[in-house]
Amino acid sequence: MNFFEFLVARSEDMLELGLGHAALVGAAVLIATVIGVLLGIATYRKEKPREAILAVCGAFLTVPSFALFVLLIGPLGLGWKPVLVALTMYGLLPIVRNTITGLREVDPAIVESALGMGMSRRQRLLRIELPLAWPVIITGVRVTTLVLLGIAAIGSIVLGPGYGEFIFTGLARVGTPVAVNLVLAGTLGVIVLAILFDLAFYLLRKITTSQGIR
Amino acid sequence: MTSPTNATSHDGRVMIRLEELTKKFPGQKQNAVDSLTLDIPEGDIVVLVGPSGCGKTTTMKMMNRIIEPSSGRIILDGEDVTSSDPDQLRRRIGYVIQQIGLFPHQSIGENVGTVPKLLGWDSKRISTRVDELLEMVNMEPSQFRNRYPKQLSGGQKQRVGVARALGADPDVMLMDEPFGAIDPITRDRLQNEFLRLQSEVRKTIVFVTHDIDEAIKMGDRIAILQDGSHIAQYDTPEQILTAPANDFVADFIGKGASLKRLNLSRVADIGLKQLPTVQLGTDREGVMAALRQTELSAVLVLDGEGRPLRWVGAEDLQRGGGRPLDELGLAPEAAVEARATLSDALNELITARYSITIVVDSRGVYQGVVDIDQINDAIRTMRSTAVAKARESLTDDSMAEQGRLP
Ligand SMILES: Nc1ncnc2c1ncn2[C@@H]1O[C@H](COP(=O)(O)OP(=O)(O)OP(=O)(O)O)[C@@H](O)[C@H]1O
Ligand SMILES: [Mg+2]
Repeated sequence: MNFFEFLVARSEDMLELGLGHAALVGAAVLIATVIGVLLGIATYRKEKPREAILAVCGAFLTVPSFALFVLLIGPLGLGWKPVLVALTMYGLLPIVRNTITGLREVDPAIVESALGMGMSRRQRLLRIELPLAWPVIITGVRVTTLVLLGIAAIGSIVLGPGYGEFIFTGLARVGTPVAVNLVLAGTLGVIVLAILFDLAFYLLRKITTSQGIR
Repeated sequence: MTSPTNATSHDGRVMIRLEELTKKFPGQKQNAVDSLTLDIPEGDIVVLVGPSGCGKTTTMKMMNRIIEPSSGRIILDGEDVTSSDPDQLRRRIGYVIQQIGLFPHQSIGENVGTVPKLLGWDSKRISTRVDELLEMVNMEPSQFRNRYPKQLSGGQKQRVGVARALGADPDVMLMDEPFGAIDPITRDRLQNEFLRLQSEVRKTIVFVTHDIDEAIKMGDRIAILQDGSHIAQYDTPEQILTAPANDFVADFIGKGASLKRLNLSRVADIGLKQLPTVQLGTDREGVMAALRQTELSAVLVLDGEGRPLRWVGAEDLQRGGGRPLDELGLAPEAAVEARATLSDALNELITARYSITIVVDSRGVYQGVVDIDQINDAIRTMRSTAVAKARESLTDDSMAEQGRLP
C-alpha cells in the first residue's frame, strides 16, 4: 500500500484526529490569549513585574514537553486535560511578550493626547492602546498557534487527542511497512492544520485591524 | 511688570489663575517651575516663551494636570481645580501638542469627535459638530471625514489636531509648540488661519513656543520665562519689544527688535501718502503735468478700474513716440494690501523701484503709497508711547506684583 492509498483508506481517521487536534490547540490558544493579554496589560508599565512575568513564561518553555505531560497526569489524569494545561503554559510566552511589546510601542504622544482629552485609564487602554497594539498581539497569537500544533502531537503520550496517535503508533511499529505511512500521515496532518490556521489568522488580522494602521 | 492690555477687547476677567505654582521632579535639585504666579485673561492668547528647559511645557501641563503640581493652586474660571477630577477637567480644556498625536486607527471624523463622544453626545449631534469643526479649520468635511491620519499632510494633520481640541467648544485651549514641526511657509499659513479662527471663537489660549517671532505674532500677551518659569516680563508684544524690562528680555528678543515691531502695525494704521497718478489714455501733456508735480522721476499709470499698470517717466515718453502709455516704462512690482504689516511693506519697499510700496485694496485698486519716512515715523511713535506706558506702570504700586493683571 503506497502512502496515497493509505491516506484514502484512513481518511475518516485523518479527519477525526484532525478535528481533535485542532480543537485542543484552538482551546489552548484561546485560554493562553486571554491569560497572556491580561498578564501583559497588568505588567507592561513597570519594569520589574514585566521582566518577572517574561522570565516565568520563558521558564515554562524550557520544561521538556514529554516531562510536563507526564507530571500533569498526577493531578489531572490521562486524556486531553493534562495536554490542554501544558499547551496553555507553553503558549503564554509569545502572547505575553508581544502584548507587552505592542503596548510599549504605542507612540507616547498618542497616549498623551488621549490623556489630555480626558480619557480615563480604562478608555485609553480599550480605545487607543489595545487597538494600536493589536497587530503585534495577534502576531504573537499566531506564533503560539504554530508552536502548539507541533507540541500537541506529543500529547498522545498521555492519550491526548490528535495526530500524535498516528505518529506514536508508527513509532511503536518501526520496521514494518505501515510505520512510515503512519508517521508521514500524522506529520502531514499537522502541516495542513498549520497552513489552515495561518490562513485563518491572516484573514482575522486583516478584518480586525483598522485600515488606518494597516 | 505689567501694563493694561490694549491689544484686545476682553473685560479683564481672569480665566486661569496660577498661584505660586511649583513643580519639583523627583531626583532633581531645582524646581522645574518655581512658585509661578500668573493671570491669564479671558479671550486672550497668552504666549509662554523662553529658552529650552525653562519650564514652559511643565507649566502648561500643570494647567490640565497631566503633570501634578508639587504645590500651589490652579484656579480655572474662579474654581479651584488643583484637586478636582482630572478627566472632567481635561474635557473642558482643549489640548494640542507638537507631535499632534492623532489616533492613527481612527478616521479623521472619529478623531475630531473624541471629546463629544466622551461627553456622551448622541451620534447625530457628534457628526454635525465634526463637520462644523472641519469647516472651521478649512477642511472640506466630505473629502476628509472618512480619511485616516496617514492620508494627510503635516499641515492638514495639524489642522485636525486643532479641530479635535475644539471638539466640545472648550473655554480654554492649551497649545504646546503646535506649529513647531512644520515647514516655515505652511507654519505661516497655519498661524494666520489660526488667528482668523481665534477672532471668531475667542478662546482663552495658552500657547507655548521658544520662537520669539511666533510669540510676537500670536500673542495678545507674552510671558517671557527664565529658568524655573520665573517671569522676566509679562506684557503685550508692543511693550516687550519697545520697553524690555531687563537685559534677559532684551537679549531674548535679540537685535531685530525694531524690525519685529514692524510686524505689529498694519499699513492701514498709518496714513497713506498720495502721489499724482494718471489714467490710461491721458495725453502727453497731461502726463508731463503730473510728472512736474511728483517728487519721483515717474508717475503711476492706472487702468480703467484704477489698478496700477505702469511706471512712466519723461524719458519713456520721449523714446516711446506716440505709443499708448501701457506700452511704455516699467511694470510696477507686487503691491501690498492695507492689512499687510509694516514689515511686509518695508520688504517690498527695499526691492521696489523708486523706493516706495504701492498699496491696493482687495480688488487690486490703487489706494496710495508708503515710503521709508512714514515707516520711520511709525517706529518713533511706537517707541515713545511704549516708554510712556512703561513709566506709568513703574509708578503704579498696585501693579508691582509680577504676573498679576491690574
Ligand atoms: N518628567 C520629568 N522628569 C524630570 N525632569 C523633567 C521632566 N520633565 C521635564 N523635566 C525638567 O524640567 C525642566 C523644564 O522642562 P520643560 O519640558 O518644562 O522645558 P521647556 O521650557 O518646555 O523646554 P523646551 O523648549 O525644550 O520644550 C527641564 O530642566 C527638564 O529637564
Ligand atoms: Mg517644551
